[in-house]
Amino acid sequence: MTQAVIVARQFDDAEQQRKASDLGMWVFLATEVLFFGGLFTAYIATRLHDPQAFAIASRLTNVTLGSINTGVLLTSSLMMALAVRATKLGSGRAALGFLCATAVLGVAFLGIKFTEYVLDYHDHLVPILDFSHPGPHAGGVENFFYLYFFMTGLHSIHMIVGIVVVTVLAVMTARRRFTPDYFTPVELGGLYWHLVDIVWIFLYPLLYLVSRT
Amino acid sequence: MIAHPVATLRSYVLVWVALIGLLLITLGSAYVPLGPMNSAVNLAIAAIKALLVAFFFMHLRSAHYMLRIAAAAGFLWLAILIGLSLTDFAVRY
Repeated sequence: MTQAVIVARQFDDAEQQRKASDLGMWVFLATEVLFFGGLFTAYIATRLHDPQAFAIASRLTNVTLGSINTGVLLTSSLMMALAVRATKLGSGRAALGFLCATAVLGVAFLGIKFTEYVLDYHDHLVPILDFSHPGPHAGGVENFFYLYFFMTGLHSIHMIVGIVVVTVLAVMTARRRFTPDYFTPVELGGLYWHLVDIVWIFLYPLLYLVSRT
Repeated sequence: MIAHPVATLRSYVLVWVALIGLLLITLGSAYVPLGPMNSAVNLAIAAIKALLVAFFFMHLRSAHYMLRIAAAAGFLWLAILIGLSLTDFAVRY
């Protein structure tokens, strides 16, 4: 026996309620795109101002850790997608495993990112704290690293929120709160996780791969 | 009860293989001297990766048109934000 889905009084049925939740989430994601969009616009304007400085600065980022982290995040998105799939199919045990894998990969991403920040600090790349760079493009290089820390920092805050959301979903899954008829929280949590992944997909080439030749 | 269709496990894994493949291509291409084309190639690959995630992992491929409009609206306004800003910054220096 599947439990009946509780339908709020403003909806005709569970399906309409589910679609309204999906639409609300996508509208929220559109605002997130514009939230990060302001920073991407600032990046473009600053890079056009001194393209050579961005080429120099990008070579100072840790491309090995950045690339590994991209792979970690793409894999976490696969785990999240499989968690949503397993929930829709009603296999709670598999969904719990995939959600835990998503959270673990998210924590691994933050661990690698923090390691990178420490290495950046030792390389004197952190503006305000210990920035120093020789040569005529020092100002432009510093601007790049202001953007680097602001953009990756804002992204990391989103990762922390995502990990908390996924952990709550894992607990709810363990308590058998979801059925093939009711899985809205898992689906919406997944959408959020994937959007944070998409933001990183664009941050990766803009910060790590500007000029490697 | 309404059945909620799901894509096959295989299709999700194939999308992941494509994403990792594109990551390796974008990393490799960055070390090939192409001049300004390096950034163009990297951004094109990033756009393909984002579309793969949106269409398959976020299910836009089979989504109601209302959701597609909401998703497209975010990127349309982003294009306006960047496009109108560039009318100044692209010609300033």
